[in-house]
Amino acid sequence: MTMDGGTLLHSLNLVYELATLALTTLGLAVVFGLLGVMNMAHGEFVMIGAYSVVAVQQWGLPTIAAFPLAIAVCAALGWVVERWLIRPLYRRPFDTLLATWALAMLMRKVVEAIWGKGFRNVDNALTVAVPIGDTSYPAYRLGLIALAIVLLAALSFWYRRSSAGLRVRAMTGNPMLAQALGIDTQRLASRTFVVGVVFAGAAGVMLAPLIRVEPGIGVDYLLDGFFVLVVGGLGTLGGFAGGVGVIGGSQALVSSIAGQTSGYAVVLIISILFLWLKPDGIFSRR
Amino acid sequence: MRRLRGRSLWPAAALAAALVALPLVGNDFLAYQVALFLIYGIATQGVALCWGRLGFLPLGHALFFGLGAYLAGGTAKAGVAQPLWWLAFPLALLLPALLAWVVARLVFARRMRSGPYFSLITLAMTMLGFLAAQQWTGLTGGFNGMGDIPEPPGLERFSTLYWLVAAAAVASTAALGVLVGRPLGVLWRAIAQNEERLQLFGYATDRIKANAYALSALLAAGAGALFATHQGIVTPQAMSFVLATEFVIWAAVGGKASPLGALLGAVIVGYASAELRDHFATWEVFVGLLFIAVVRFLPEGLSGLAGMKVLRAARPRLAPVPAPPARAPRQVPALVYDNVRSSQGGVRILDGLSFRLEGPGIRAVIGPNGAGKTSAFNVLTGHLPVIGGRILAGGRDVTGQAAWRVARMGVGRKLQVPSVFAELTVRENLCVALWAGRLNAPAALRNAPHAWHTPLLDEMLGCFPELAASLDEPAGRLSQGHRQALEFVMTVLPEPHLLLLDEPCAGLSPAETHQMIQVIQRAVRRLNAAALLIEHDLAAVAALQGEVYVFHQGRMLAQGSLQAMQADVAVRAVYAGARK
Amino acid sequence: MSDASLAFEDVVCGYGDTMVVRGVTGWVEPGRVLGIVGRNGVGKSTLLKALAGFLPVSRGRVRWRGEDLRSVPAHARLSAGLAYAPQENVVFGELSVAENLWLHLPDRNPARYAALLEAFPRLTERLKQRAGLLSGGERKLLSFTRTLGVQATLSMLDEPTEGVQPENIDRMARLVRALKASGRSFAIVEQNLTFIEQVADDVLVLDHGECVRAGSMAALGREALERHLLV
Repeated sequence: MTMDGGTLLHSLNLVYELATLALTTLGLAVVFGLLGVMNMAHGEFVMIGAYSVVAVQQWGLPTIAAFPLAIAVCAALGWVVERWLIRPLYRRPFDTLLATWALAMLMRKVVEAIWGKGFRNVDNALTVAVPIGDTSYPAYRLGLIALAIVLLAALSFWYRRSSAGLRVRAMTGNPMLAQALGIDTQRLASRTFVVGVVFAGAAGVMLAPLIRVEPGIGVDYLLDGFFVLVVGGLGTLGGFAGGVGVIGGSQALVSSIAGQTSGYAVVLIISILFLWLKPDGIFSRR
Repeated sequence: MRRLRGRSLWPAAALAAALVALPLVGNDFLAYQVALFLIYGIATQGVALCWGRLGFLPLGHALFFGLGAYLAGGTAKAGVAQPLWWLAFPLALLLPALLAWVVARLVFARRMRSGPYFSLITLAMTMLGFLAAQQWTGLTGGFNGMGDIPEPPGLERFSTLYWLVAAAAVASTAALGVLVGRPLGVLWRAIAQNEERLQLFGYATDRIKANAYALSALLAAGAGALFATHQGIVTPQAMSFVLATEFVIWAAVGGKASPLGALLGAVIVGYASAELRDHFATWEVFVGLLFIAVVRFLPEGLSGLAGMKVLRAARPRLAPVPAPPARAPRQVPALVYDNVRSSQGGVRILDGLSFRLEGPGIRAVIGPNGAGKTSAFNVLTGHLPVIGGRILAGGRDVTGQAAWRVARMGVGRKLQVPSVFAELTVRENLCVALWAGRLNAPAALRNAPHAWHTPLLDEMLGCFPELAASLDEPAGRLSQGHRQALEFVMTVLPEPHLLLLDEPCAGLSPAETHQMIQVIQRAVRRLNAAALLIEHDLAAVAALQGEVYVFHQGRMLAQGSLQAMQADVAVRAVYAGARK
Repeated sequence: MSDASLAFEDVVCGYGDTMVVRGVTGWVEPGRVLGIVGRNGVGKSTLLKALAGFLPVSRGRVRWRGEDLRSVPAHARLSAGLAYAPQENVVFGELSVAENLWLHLPDRNPARYAALLEAFPRLTERLKQRAGLLSGGERKLLSFTRTLGVQATLSMLDEPTEGVQPENIDRMARLVRALKASGRSFAIVEQNLTFIEQVADDVLVLDHGECVRAGSMAALGREALERHLLV
């Protein structure tokens, strides 16, 4: 059974949308899903990743150098933020929300001050298209899809099987008991936060050649990320996948029928309903 | 930080003076520019009301601002051709307020820690509004906006319109300033500090919050309407999350607890931004840093620094006035637990609890840890889900009802950890309890309820002179013993006929315990109420000389006098571990 | 008082500005068990939480092996030789029973627990199950097994027998006595006097946050303790 070119293209586009959504939301799944921190600056870390590519291309460096740059910047910033902004406000979700909202604004303004408000295009070296069935698809996008699948599988495996993953699971479930068993929860939380924002930055690097890079792109990634986690539930991989499927799927479906804006509007409506009626998500264990 | 005495109107008066002076000291153009930020300031006051007073943060207030602007602009434009359209102008304020009320009622009625999720909902709705404003070009003019909005009849945009805006700003600052000192304002602050406790008095806090949110939306929409006539054009930017964020920043920096502070935050920071952002590329970075610093270190904003913290209008010393009668039912509701089961986190907490309580008098509930004593109270006041069995009060099935509904049936509850409104004064704490079941909507807006008293209140203050001596101190500063006393007095002031008292003597010295027991007996006799008292101090239980219920593993094990229980073999076994 | 012991003097601690424990003194020597008894609400759990590092000690001293313990953060006390089993939330509900047991072990070798698990076949049957599915008593058994398996010099247990079946309580007492003989010490908060009778060498009785009786179990006797619980 073979699909005709049109359907195949649609399906690949759908998978691509889901893959990018998964990649950009992964960091928030770590920070909000595991640590419970509503990091309103999550999208800005993605944005920084994208601007890292702009920066290295501006400086004439090979594009691959954007990765270490983004990781370094996000890790350093993440460490400082966790230490000075998040940790003191740990038990006050409102203040955390507001403090990170303020941070997001600051990050946007700094980038605006350096690169201006307009958008940038990033050169994409890999514009080659790979023939598949009746159609062809850009290799870069295929690579992204493959990467997303591999990354999720690897993370899931690491989380469930490794001793580090075990310690994180212990900490999120029962922080006091974790400390009684010798786990330095403060340090572990700090490292987990840094990992989360580094994921966001890395996603930004990977997406840079495919999007308009401008300072304001963060909010959409933030909202999409929150909606995925609200719909799918926090802390489980099944929930994550489910959330990505519902949000990404409905957006793609409605967009193909009624246009981009309607697709986004539908996602907003679904999320509002979940926030109102089932804020723990479909797959939550609570 | 100086505590301000005197009238709550002085900020509005000072503002009025400054706004009158402005066009005289400056010029008409300056007045025009400042008017724009006064308009934004009114919307910012709406955000500050919800966030600074009630404790929930609307992240998307631009939705109502934009709605007000578009509706006002639309009716004004239609009014040019057909003057009757001007009659529809008030809808520009009322429809957004109605929308806000509906949304808030729906969201707050769900029993969840709705705080941050509510913020996200408001943000998502604003984004939806922004999308609609851009797409529905026929209605809104789309991306380019709705232009050619006429000036209000009789006012000129660049000169006399300023006075309308200034008057609106003064009026809103005055109204908010006054409201804070009225009973409604005290209830708002109580919600922000301890909403759960307020519900236990019978206040439907979700409705109070929804009403406040509607008021804040009214302010934003009103500001939006002024914006439309002031600018002559409304674009989707008026409904954007960027503007919503600016409202929050201005409220934070100016001071979310002070209406004048919030207004000045918008005027000063907003105006400065508008002027300076083109001159200094880094101005906006500075504003961002300022915002973070304020959030992290200065929760009351710059006005907090200036000592304008909480406008504690000193109560005009009114003569004491007898309070209206309580609305709580007159007789003791017979309480029946019928095979009640409850679990949490996979552990069975109540396992077929059954007992019957009829008639006045004090019964003590004792039992080892994990027996389900506090949980038995929790299922009645809606804090723990009931998965089997029922609870009847006064013949009615009350299983699973919300805490405030149960309270209105005449049930009073004192919590295990003494729970008062820490930042309200002792006097205000007592008022909140006294108003329960007595305050109606008009009374909530008048000063008179501050002077209410009842004979029971006087008697209780007589029993606890230390409370009477610290009426103007914040309740959070009381010692453990005094806090227990305060919470007990608050529990009896609404004159409930079924009292659930959870460890009222916890943390008290033997002398304080003795005093507390005596006061409890006195109050119960006076109210002719039934009381269930969880207590571990068996000397206290002995002094009560009432029936004793022994709970164990989520069930009633035995009941009878204390001596009978102490002699009972099964009870001894449960307490001390069975002998082999 | 030898070196490998825990000593606390005039400890005052509580929550916020409410002091629940008002000056309690006691010690645990190697190879001995200190029982801490008293009615609900007298401060037993609060005292143990402070000794484990989860509550600040406002006044008084706490020394472990001669060193001041108050500056040691809670998570570092395990490597110092102190294990703690809290009264509530005693297991990691999302983790399996096996993961609960070997969380802190670098080698994940369940052989450490061989002797313990033999005593509690119910746990062995459920090694792969999520701990959240266990009953209250089974969770306490899991917590007990884990704490003993940690092989700390001093183990602090808060109401280890709550909800546990009588035959398992007997086994728990036997295990504690066996470990006592090999030099390990215990501080156990309990309301079950039968268990205390079986394992404790010394007893501390608390009431209203203060120590009202202290002495060896042999000298005090069960009747005296019962009086303090029920009167």
